[in-house]
Formats: sequence, C-alpha cells, structure tokens
Amino acid sequence: MGFRLSAAILAGKAAARLSRACGYRGTSLPGLVARKICPAALIDLSAQVRRGIIVVSGTNGKTTTTNMIAGVLGDAGYKVIVNREGSNMISGVTAGFVANSAVSAHVDCDYAVLEVDEASMPAVLEETNPKVVLLTNFFRDQLDRYWELDKIIGVINDSLQKLKKSTTLVLNADDPLVAQLRGKTGLPAIFYGLSGYELARKTNTQTREAKFCPCCGFALVYEFFNYGQLGTYYCPNCVFQRPELQVEALGTVSKSNVNCCRIRYKKGEASLVIQALGLYNLYNALAAFTVGLHLGINVRTILNSLKKYQPVFGRMERFTYKRKPVYLNLVKNPTGFNEALAALCDAEGMKDVFIAVNDNYADSRDISWLWDVDFELLGREHQAFETFICSGRRAEEMALRLKYAGVPVEKITVNNNMRLAIEQVLSGPAQACYLFPTYTALWPAHKILEFLAVKGNADDQRMPSVS
Amino acid sequence: MISACHLYPDLLNLYGDRGNIIAFRQRCEWRNIPVKIKSISLGDKIEFKDYDFVFLGGGSDREQNLIAADLMKRRDRLKDAIEGGLVVLAICGGYQLLGKYYQTAEGKQIPCLDILDLYTTAGSKRLVGNLVVEVKLGGKPLKVVGFENHSGRTYTRSVKPLGKVLCGSGNNGSDGLEGARYKNVYCSYLHGPLLPKNSGLTDRLISLALKRRGMEYHLKQLDDSLEESARRVMLDRLGLRM
Ligand SMILES: [Zn+2]
Repeated sequence: MGFRLSAAILAGKAAARLSRACGYRGTSLPGLVARKICPAALIDLSAQVRRGIIVVSGTNGKTTTTNMIAGVLGDAGYKVIVNREGSNMISGVTAGFVANSAVSAHVDCDYAVLEVDEASMPAVLEETNPKVVLLTNFFRDQLDRYWELDKIIGVINDSLQKLKKSTTLVLNADDPLVAQLRGKTGLPAIFYGLSGYELARKTNTQTREAKFCPCCGFALVYEFFNYGQLGTYYCPNCVFQRPELQVEALGTVSKSNVNCCRIRYKKGEASLVIQALGLYNLYNALAAFTVGLHLGINVRTILNSLKKYQPVFGRMERFTYKRKPVYLNLVKNPTGFNEALAALCDAEGMKDVFIAVNDNYADSRDISWLWDVDFELLGREHQAFETFICSGRRAEEMALRLKYAGVPVEKITVNNNMRLAIEQVLSGPAQACYLFPTYTALWPAHKILEFLAVKGNADDQRMPSVS
Repeated sequence: MISACHLYPDLLNLYGDRGNIIAFRQRCEWRNIPVKIKSISLGDKIEFKDYDFVFLGGGSDREQNLIAADLMKRRDRLKDAIEGGLVVLAICGGYQLLGKYYQTAEGKQIPCLDILDLYTTAGSKRLVGNLVVEVKLGGKPLKVVGFENHSGRTYTRSVKPLGKVLCGSGNNGSDGLEGARYKNVYCSYLHGPLLPKNSGLTDRLISLALKRRGMEYHLKQLDDSLEESARRVMLDRLGLRM
C-alpha cells in the first residue's frame, strides 16, 4: 500500500468532488483517476474486505439483486460497501472502494457487494478475490454495444476458471446458459430456481436464447417456461439438465404490488414476501436469499430484510400522484420489457402508459429490438388501457410499433417534450400510470416525476398527496 | 388468399426482423386481403411453389450454419419457385445466403445457395449505423430508412442492387450500393426492421404477391402518417429530405 495508493485515493476523492460540483451523478471518474495513479488500487483496496466480496453479474436484475443482498447483510449487522448504480465497469467498481476508503487507504467493511457488467467480469475477477459469484441470467442485450451472447458467456466462463476453488458460484438453475457454468468451471455451485409457476406466461416470446444444449448442441426440451429461456429443461441427448435446487421457490402468488411464494431449502421451508412487482423480482429475491443463506445469515433476518425492500431507482419504483399509483420501470432489452408488460397486464384496473425511447449510445443506437418485444399483448388487451403516450428521440417509431401491435391509433399519442408527456400521462383518465423509459430517458423521467408526484406509496406513509 | 412463409422464425430472430412479417400481415389485414403466414423451421416440409411470399431473416453464426445446411437440401425447389416469380424478402444473413459463397477471414469459401449472382467476404470492422437508401419503386424514388449491423461485405455482380446509399455503408462500404434485386426477390442489410417504416416497399411486396396469386393488385391507400413520421425523424436527423 503506502504513499502511492493514498495519493490515488486523494486524487480520486478530489475527482469525485469535482464531478459532483459539475453536476454529474456519481460516476466511474474517481476510479479512473485512482487507477491511473495506482494501477493496483482495486487489488489493494478490495483485499481489505474482512469477510468477503460478492460479485453480481448477468443481463437483467443486477442492480436490484445487489441492493437486496446489501440490505440483507446490512440488516444482519455487517458493514457493507456497494458500487453505485451505473458504475459497474472496473473503474466504477474501483470508484466504489475509493469513496469508502479513508485517505490512509484503509477500508473498513465486512462485505463488498459488487454489481459487475458482463463484459467487465474478466478484469474485476482478476483484481478481486470474490467469495461468491452470483449470475442471474443471460439474455440478448444490445448487440451493437456488446458482443454476441455466446462470446460473452465464453469470456465469463474463462475468467471463472481462473478463480481459486474457494469461490462459490450461486447460479440460476432455470437458465441453461447460467446453469452450464458449474460443469464448465469446476467451481462449487449452489442453485436456486422457481418451480410450478402457475400463471402461464401471456407473452409468446420469440426471444429465447437457449434453444440448444450448451454441452452437445441438441435442442433442449422444456417442461415449462417461466419467462424467456428460464424454466425446467433437459437435453434428450446428454446428461445436461436443470440442476437440482438448493433453494426452490414454490406456489407463487402475485397480488397488487406484492409477490410471495413458499421457499424450500435444505433446512426447511419459509414464506418469502416482497413488495415489488414482476416475476423477475421474485427471481432477484430468490438469488439474494440464496446468497444470504450461504453466508450463514439467519433466515428470519433475510426474509424480514427482503420484505421491507423498496424497489431501487427506476425498477418498478413507486410514486403517487393525486392518490393514484405511478410506477417507473427502466426498459433496456426485449426480455426485460416483456416481463414488465406481463406485470403491467397482470395489474388490475384501467391503466395509462408512457413509453420513452431514446437511441443514444447507452440505450443502443439500434432500436430494432422494440420489434422483438411482444407489444401484441397490449394490442390484444387494449381495453384495459386508456392512453399510450410515446416520447423520447424515437417516440414516432414507438408509436408505430404500438400501431402494428394492434393498439388502436386513437389511443396512441406522440409527445416529444418529455415534461409535457409525463404531465399528460399523470393526468390521464385511468386509475394507475406506468412509465417505461429506456436508459438515458430514465434520469430525466425520474427528475420530472420527483417534481410532479410524491415518492413512494402515499397511503402506506399516510402522507397527503400533492400535485 | 396470400400464402406467406416465415423461414426459421425460431432461429433467425435477431434485430427485430420479425417486424417485417408483422408489417406484411397487418397491411394485408387492414385492407381485408386474406393472408396466411406459415412458420417453417428445420426439417419442416415446404413446397415453395405453393407460396406467394417468403421471408428470410438473419441470425447469429451458430444458427446461420444450422439453417444453411437445412436450406441447401431445399435449394433447387427454392430456385425454381424464385424463377417462377416467388416474392422473397431476405435480410442480412438471409441475403448473404442467397448468393454464391461466403469467404471467411481465413480465405475459405463456404458455398451458399447460388441463386443470386453475388458473393460476400468477411470484413474486419463491423459496419454499424443508421442507413438510408434510395430505392426506385415503379420509377419513383423512395428513401428507405433503417439500421445496418454486419461484418460481411457483399458484392453484386449481374444482379441489380436494391438502391443507392445516401447515408451509411450499405453492401460493402465502398461501391455506394445497397441490397440486391432479382425478379421478385428483394435483399437488404437493413434492419429497423425494414418494412414497417418503409410502407411503400411493403405495399410493393404485397402487390407482387397478389399478382403472383392472380388476384387484383390495386392496393387501397392506408393512413400512413405514423409510418411517414417515423421515417422523417431519421431523415431529418441525417439532413435528408423526404
Ligand atoms: Zn446435451
């Protein structure tokens, strides 16, 4: 350690102050600066974590799962570091440590929970020594930014093989693309999954990734799908199949803003409740439960922590406008959007919908993926919707997508002014509003919502609603 | 009744290309033209000559190799149907597959279906970005808008290109040409997907399919204001006029 690392931390902290003063959100800049001065900054800082590092990666659910795990560990009385949302590349991970380090380069924490972008996995795994690596799922993201899915999984597999055998993998058994990694890496693995999900998926998705056995190339046989390629499967040609579960969710029920299910694990059964919509959030909670269990946290502590978990920024985040519930949910790929639409259609009552599509670099410049989303579901169930307001740089294309999905054109409005478009959806005639922005539209949409509506559930908090 | 066929929708499903089938179907149905669309996958039976319109998209390498082998077995019947006026839309990988061969970076020539006189070579840098092509439809120029994302460089020989590149790379980034056209076959690198915004082209394909079926093919005009404005957004941004 010594002088060089201290200098790096000082410079990093200065960069953080500077970027905050310039109005930037917490970014990876401090990490970039620190690494420039001391290339071993992350290695040295992360080595000080007392009990262990938990790395969370995969296509969807990283941010939510990271926060759930950090919540569980925090509630168990541990001191925890997390990297900030949107800073999940190596410089962002470094920035997380810089922010939590004393100028003496001393890091005082029990656990670090790190959200890591798939493409950054090799670099982060090389410089940290994780106790647990959790992989949520692999879906097709934005191909003009990332490599093809097969390549990314291959790279992650290679970097996992280089880890010490003291690392445990926590894997989603329902995703064959994730589950295959146990056999290939030879690391000890724990599996979680969801069985007997009774609600048949309404989305007839064509965006399934794993049609073929990752071991022999034969077409996989599915007993059922939960969503995307997630489900119960086996290869008719070789031994590959959905692994045996150490943590299994059963008897899923999802009712107005609450998800619950029975969980069966080694030592018994428990009831898991979360206040977040969507089957994908149940998967996130299941992942966090499994990690908590593996780290020896008391089951009741884990369940209580998950029960009070509030959705993070833009993940079915709840607002209230004139006593009306308003949900804000980031959309960034077909599978995520399909799941959000499924949650939307499961919700009762009439709904107004706002969709903002940008095609900036961080969103994916190619918006073709909108045509892989099953908006046809909205076309079939359009009686449950009053209006669809489209905004963002590609609002017109979004409107066109809805038209071709069978939504009556008189229900579709284009408004390129996001502020006015959000005012319009909030004051719509329905009993609830759902806002779906792509990545770079999320921040402005969030700002506007904070200004126009009240954060959270006004009824729960007994707060007067203001407009 | 128009008979249409979507080839390998379960395998070739990159970049929203199924939007082309959605657009074709909707624009028929909005005009009360009956249309039946069949999905065909590996090993399924198909008589190309019984169809009016066939759509072939693109996929990732692994999927592309699987379907190439499958299509090779059906090659002669597909070629006969095309010579007989079958309407085909082939995008990206599907487009390359209709040509003579694909030459890999190592110089190996992988034979393709050899139905169109064109070939493709692997390029080192991917050609990615918004793409605008001027296509002549019935003598009138139409600016067709979409997004390209391919590493192959395609060179047309005796077949005509689909159009001239106004913005973007097109077939190979050097000769200013995009896509290919042969009889009733339309090929392009344009994702977006191609047909929904570029409704003029969609209607052309529908007319040709109706004609092949021997039905009256004067198409009723639809309200295309959303299609036009979606196209205009990109043309405006790139400094081009409608
Ligand atoms: Zn197998």
